[in-house]
Amino acid sequence: MKMTSRIECIFFSEFHPTLGPKITYQVPEDYISRELFDTVQVYIITKPELQNKLITVTAMEKKLIGCPVCIEHKKYSRNALLFNLGLVCDAQTKTCALEPIVKKLSAYLTTLELESGFISNEESKQKLQPIMSTLLEELNATGACTLPIDESNTIHLKLIEQRRDPLIVQEYDVPVFTQCKDYFIKSQWDLTTQQILAYIDGFRHIQKISAEADVELNLVRIAVQNLLYYGVVTLVSIFQYSNVYCTTPKVQSLIDDKTLQEECLSYVTKQGQKRACLRDVFQLYCGLTPGTTVRDLCSRYSQQLQKVDERRLIQFGLMKALIRRLQKYPVKVIRDERSRPPRLYTGCHSYDEICCKTGMSYRELDERLENDPNIIVCWK
Amino acid sequence: MYNQSCSVEVFADRNSMYKHSQNNINKSGEKTSPISVILVSSGSRGNKLLFRYPFQRVAECPSSLATKQRSPYALNTTGDVLEDQDGDSRELSPLTDEQLVAGFSDIILATILATKSDMCGKKFELKIDNVRFVGHPTLLQHPHTIQVSKTDPSPKRETPTMILFSVVFALRANADPSVISCMHNLSRRIAIALQHEERRCQYLTREAKLMLAVQDEVTTLTETDGSPQSPFRQILPKCKLARDLKEAYDSLCTTGVVRVHINNWLEVSFCLPHKIHRVGGNHIPLEALERSLKAIRPYHALLLLDSEKALLAQLPLDCSPALVRLIKTCSAVKNLQQLAQDADLALLQIFQIAAHLVYWGKAIIVYPLCENNVYMLSPHANISLYSLLAEQFAQQFPGHELPSMLAKFSLPVSLAEFRNPLDAPVQEAQLIQMVVWMLQHRLLIQLHTYACLLVPPGEEEPGLREEEFPLTARVGGRSLSTPSALSFGSPTSSDDMTLTSPSMENSSAELMPGGDSPLNKRMTETLLASLTEQERQVILSIPAAQNPEDLRMFARLLHYFRGHHHLEEIMYNENMRRSHLKTLFDKFRSVLVVTNHEDPVISLFQSPLE
Repeated sequence: MKMTSRIECIFFSEFHPTLGPKITYQVPEDYISRELFDTVQVYIITKPELQNKLITVTAMEKKLIGCPVCIEHKKYSRNALLFNLGLVCDAQTKTCALEPIVKKLSAYLTTLELESGFISNEESKQKLQPIMSTLLEELNATGACTLPIDESNTIHLKLIEQRRDPLIVQEYDVPVFTQCKDYFIKSQWDLTTQQILAYIDGFRHIQKISAEADVELNLVRIAVQNLLYYGVVTLVSIFQYSNVYCTTPKVQSLIDDKTLQEECLSYVTKQGQKRACLRDVFQLYCGLTPGTTVRDLCSRYSQQLQKVDERRLIQFGLMKALIRRLQKYPVKVIRDERSRPPRLYTGCHSYDEICCKTGMSYRELDERLENDPNIIVCWK
Repeated sequence: MYNQSCSVEVFADRNSMYKHSQNNINKSGEKTSPISVILVSSGSRGNKLLFRYPFQRVAECPSSLATKQRSPYALNTTGDVLEDQDGDSRELSPLTDEQLVAGFSDIILATILATKSDMCGKKFELKIDNVRFVGHPTLLQHPHTIQVSKTDPSPKRETPTMILFSVVFALRANADPSVISCMHNLSRRIAIALQHEERRCQYLTREAKLMLAVQDEVTTLTETDGSPQSPFRQILPKCKLARDLKEAYDSLCTTGVVRVHINNWLEVSFCLPHKIHRVGGNHIPLEALERSLKAIRPYHALLLLDSEKALLAQLPLDCSPALVRLIKTCSAVKNLQQLAQDADLALLQIFQIAAHLVYWGKAIIVYPLCENNVYMLSPHANISLYSLLAEQFAQQFPGHELPSMLAKFSLPVSLAEFRNPLDAPVQEAQLIQMVVWMLQHRLLIQLHTYACLLVPPGEEEPGLREEEFPLTARVGGRSLSTPSALSFGSPTSSDDMTLTSPSMENSSAELMPGGDSPLNKRMTETLLASLTEQERQVILSIPAAQNPEDLRMFARLLHYFRGHHHLEEIMYNENMRRSHLKTLFDKFRSVLVVTNHEDPVISLFQSPLE
């Protein structure tokens, strides 16, 4: 996080009544050249239409992020005070995380000015420079900064990492912790999450967690989605011995990547046993093919499974995308115009989903569908 | 039958799921489409906004700007709650893309987008709240040369007053960096064309004059009439350049393929890969596409996504004859090397043209169709009963249903198994066509066999040794070279390519004397030297290793057994028959672990990486 959003410079620019737009303070000194400022000044001290907008401009290999402020009042020369406290980064930096900080700073300064004339007063304005120094140092070092400005005002700033939107969590998804459960401090999470934490074991699916933890289904979904967003859990599919899996090209990384190997072997070895060897584990993964159930695997590779827990083997394989699950999708081929169009048997809903939603077991669903000549089943 | 309430809930849920997936598609569509296209210029008359599209719903009268009077229709871009005279303050729906840019007046856009001349010739990127502007400001001529032309007595040329101009695209701020890059590329291309036409016949100056004249006209009309009109709407019928820009914008928002003719003379063509390369609801990231294209081999094949006729019809009149020849000769059963021979083109050229076609979404790379190919349903295949694909399939192949065909590929099946030997040749041909159709529509993936050398651990320190030095680290990377460094989308593309004929470099089958000569023995020893002592022992103790031919073959192929080279690749490089290789695998199965999966190099065409 610190590497991706390194701040190179913090500057304070304002519209001087006689000199026009200028940089009053910048830390470190002389970072922004005269040339650069001339080129971008129209985006720093802006026309009224652009006030309070977050503006990021890229020029001469640098990115400048600022939020121009205009405070109108008769007491100011030219009846308005225009200023902008901004950050400068390298042009390649991803600066999304810095934007809320710039906005917050501009809001702080506006408030300070309105309350006590912090900026228009030459004396108090000088305090800005050391403040900017501290900000630069702390934000780059720790990503957070708490700074008292005067006796009654303190600034709190924090860089928040932007993450990708998480997937929608379905009732038939199974959350599994990406790291050891004890790594996370329970009390930092919300009540709902705390209530369901104990039930996340990498085997219970959302519907089951909801039933056993006595928490409403949608709340569980949202809580898990939140955990997913922060990378605390990842989702795998329900485990059954009748499941079918197959390898992905990533399975070869088990051979190439030493760290992955170590992680895998310690994860899948049965408790209390000597560590399983790479060959056995790799053979097991490669033994997963379309048409082979986990049960088949167990009977064919019983020797390799002496030291390996097959459930954790599958779990690890799914988490690291070394293997993928082949799901069954029933499709009702419409032969008769009069018959009702299928709602679930459309090829969009897997067995997992149908069984979850209707309460049937796999076997029941199988039996029902086998007897229907109009249903064909696709695996993918 | 499950009870009624359950089914109703299920139905509602599915609807919302469909809606969600639809929204996802729309959302990503928005992210890759521009919000607006804007043409600005800077010159002796100051900064001007010449044209923008789409038009604002209600153009603000320039005079009303100063008074800050709100027209009841004005859009509130600050996100405040709007209160009407009844005190009704309903929450505004989230701003649409148009509203985002419509909030910027013409004048402010002219100020911020017509940059200083020292920003010219480079990428211009400006982000304001939720909008990102990207362009390539271009100098028409050096400012000081304007003095020169003023004193130029030649009556032919008018005095140009424009110093620089910029074609700017407005995007959503969270657009993917590669989309931004592509938009910049298009802006630059249009700028190059405009600069050229300006130098040749002052095209841009003339169009700019027209645009400004219409704007002035409309302004005066509005001031006298009082009814707001958009000047840009009036510009469209009069200015070709405005129409070109509108067309570029519309194309970017729909197909992603732009073809405009600046001044009816210079063609500017461009494609947005993010719109073109979509498989299911996902799009293939550009970097993945480029990586893939750099890794294709002569044994791959090019599969056209349109019919030959349709594709040829799309080509411009002055296109390269090599391209035409390639399209006419290419086929799903021919690999690129054969294609080079048949079309009488260098392999290098074939690679370049193939990459070009793939980039433009007109073709994909597959392994050439043959009997032994094994196919399976792609995990992203759209097997929905109600999909457009099912309909199209039924039209193309009457009497056959797509779902039934897809079910046949639920388990991996080879083409040989798929065909019925008792079928008439016509039916057989149709089956092949169906497979080609399914490949074109991203329904199938092809599985290949990969082998990995893993020796059973010995008694002492089980597993430790082999894990410490995996084969991959020890056996140096033999570069099985392929033409690389293909460049995309840019006008210049001259990169050095090294081309080797694989069978010459890597296979020494023809050169090596047969039998058990001391030379062979030494070669085998050298090849096996990269293994640990324990591995060597285990291999040598296999019964098949007693046969020196087999052992030599195994040793020679050792570097392929890292799980990254599939059977067909070994066959091609080493000029070996499939049966021979399979037998070898079988003989040494106690030290090889074999698995089947798709070729990661080309699998992204059928199932994009998550």
